[in-house]
Amino acid sequence: MTGMNKSALLKGLMTASALALMTSLAYGDDAAKQFRTDFLDGKASWDDVKARAAEEGKINFYYWGGSDTINVWVDSVVTPALAAEDVTLNPVRITGTKDAVDLVLAEKNAGKGVGEGSVDAIWLNGENFYTMSQQDALFGSFAQKVPNSSNFDWNEDDPRSLLNLRDFGVVTNSQEIPWSGQQYVCAVNRQYVDAANTPSTFEDMKKYLEANPGKFTYVKPPHYVGNTFVQSVMYAFNPDGNGAIPFQQSIGDLGAEELARLIKPGMEYLRAIEPMLLGADGGKARYPEDIAALDGLFLNGEVHFDCKFGLYAVHTGLQTGTFPEQAEAFIFPKGLMIANKNYLAIPANSPNPASALVFANYMASVESQASKLEKAGMPVGIDIWKLAADQAAMVEKAAPKHYGVTQEELDANVAPDTNASLVDVIEATWLEYIERGSSASIEEIVAKSAKEIAQ
Amino acid sequence: MSASVRTAAQRKARLLLIAELSPVVIVLFVLFGGALVLAVLQSLGFAPWFGVNTFPDFSYFGALWGSSAFWVSLWLTLYYGFVSTIIALIMAIILSLALIKPFRSKTLYKYLYKLPLMIPYTVGIALVVLMLGNGGIMSRLLAFVGMIDNPGQFPQILKTHYGWGIITVYVWKQVPFMTLAIYAVLLGIGRETEEAAAILGANRRQIFFSVTLPQILPGIVSSTLICFAFNVGAFEAPFILGGGYPDTLPVVAWRYFNDANYAFQLQGMATVVSIGIVSGVILFGYLAAYRRYERMRGRA
Repeated sequence: MTGMNKSALLKGLMTASALALMTSLAYGDDAAKQFRTDFLDGKASWDDVKARAAEEGKINFYYWGGSDTINVWVDSVVTPALAAEDVTLNPVRITGTKDAVDLVLAEKNAGKGVGEGSVDAIWLNGENFYTMSQQDALFGSFAQKVPNSSNFDWNEDDPRSLLNLRDFGVVTNSQEIPWSGQQYVCAVNRQYVDAANTPSTFEDMKKYLEANPGKFTYVKPPHYVGNTFVQSVMYAFNPDGNGAIPFQQSIGDLGAEELARLIKPGMEYLRAIEPMLLGADGGKARYPEDIAALDGLFLNGEVHFDCKFGLYAVHTGLQTGTFPEQAEAFIFPKGLMIANKNYLAIPANSPNPASALVFANYMASVESQASKLEKAGMPVGIDIWKLAADQAAMVEKAAPKHYGVTQEELDANVAPDTNASLVDVIEATWLEYIERGSSASIEEIVAKSAKEIAQ
Repeated sequence: MSASVRTAAQRKARLLLIAELSPVVIVLFVLFGGALVLAVLQSLGFAPWFGVNTFPDFSYFGALWGSSAFWVSLWLTLYYGFVSTIIALIMAIILSLALIKPFRSKTLYKYLYKLPLMIPYTVGIALVVLMLGNGGIMSRLLAFVGMIDNPGQFPQILKTHYGWGIITVYVWKQVPFMTLAIYAVLLGIGRETEEAAAILGANRRQIFFSVTLPQILPGIVSSTLICFAFNVGAFEAPFILGGGYPDTLPVVAWRYFNDANYAFQLQGMATVVSIGIVSGVILFGYLAAYRRYERMRGRA
């Protein structure tokens, strides 16, 4: 039997059980429901939560398992720390976060209510959080109710709190707690590119490609790393010159026509550089499917640049040998290096909600954040300015080295993410205009995909 | 009395038959049939669990079949399927004809050729990437001996729409499978008819086409049927080794399923159902043509 048939079969099975159970909707485990209500209403103390967590004794954490350094950190640091709370961590490593979201939704639709699912916590952000909140599949507003929430800035008047309150422009309502903050950083292979030739804007990159065709490519949208590259291009070529600002609105507020006007120059740039991307001389530009594929091209010298999320990607890449020896980070595109946070969310039907809360609280602690930064090279998700001086020093000490750039330069070039509802439309436009090489105009494509997505 | 004994025996035999058939029937009808019905329902707009229910709605098929990209994808899917099946078949016939001849170390060879059967497709794909990729062993060796400046200059074999990587994996894995089937048939028929034809003055070409080929046809048909059906529906090899857009149909379906936007899942289902229709029509046609041929030759 073929792979496709198998997955169709599985899907069918899932939906069959969904159909069978939809009529006899189960309403969940009463004790778990009571706990959820008590906790969200502030009636359960943290000691109650810990006591229930010890009783539950287990947490199923679903997360992207593609990074060995993160996996090792989870096994060697998180597992023993939770064991001290009488909670056994069951790390479920998945290839795509959407798999966990699919599982939660399939179980929810199969009538598995509060306390009856199989996922306790998911590492996610952006579209996946948006999907879960739209499908009403989240536990509730827990992030400001765990003790370590004091490590985050929740003050709406302070613009620095934006990434705690909004995820890709979508209001989080504290239904997820920040875990790590990332920035889109490009690395360059100094074996081929010297400082004088290093591009700092997209125009520079085009000139570089004219002189060195085929030496650059980006991850294929709809992969989020590819989407982010496309978004930074859209910011850079915004005809109004105000970068990311208009892209913070939802598609409903902005309107398809206005979006088309804003992204047209950027899309034209992407089409213009396509004949100079990797493999284009062989007839067709090649876009790697994921980060591992891009890293492989970079390591082999097939491309000279590697753009992905990773403040400490060069450090980790050099340590694990996945980056060439002369790799260095560089500031590109100037002033438009998209930064965002990623989060831990608890699904509504989590079977061990108290353990999930204990877990989320542990992950938000200064100790765990500093050790994650040091051992896994994952930037902290907590806000340094909320910490005591000795805690802040601890985080600073744990930070890996930067190569070729300083933290100040990185901070000075930050840009915000694009609103999640626009991401879908921009992605669909890229697929139609760039990948399929559609002859339709940008206006037509944007109008069509905005309509399809609104359905 | 004897009549009632016979009916009791008959009843027992019938019960036994039902017991023997039911596992397969249950698996086929409940699991496979159920999935098929749901796939068709979803592709026609029935998915209340995503908040979509416009059944019956042919717009998903309309959008799919109306785009030229679908037909390019279909062509690519069939091209990879046909070419690898035919190359594997030719190699398997040659191999099985060689295997029935006596030669030294034949026992060892009979084990060797079956090796790929025990190795999963994904491992085969990884092997191809390691050997033939632009950062692979071949490219590094050539760069090392100085034929190219760096591994990146190695000619692009994988990730092109010619699909040599995909075809390599399929052929590598399917030659032993087809050989197994054809060799078994060859062993069963023995060499007498061929020897008779030779004595009667047929040359090697005539012997092969008029005597051997018709006799091994059942083995050829069953093994090519299975391999072709696999090749058309398989996802991993074209996903990893394919040339990107336009993709084969299973990859297209996967992309729809994998999109964060759930509305695309119905479009994905329409793609899956289309794959089923296409491969179903081809396989039934193939089988019908074969049956007709067998009837013409007077075999039931």
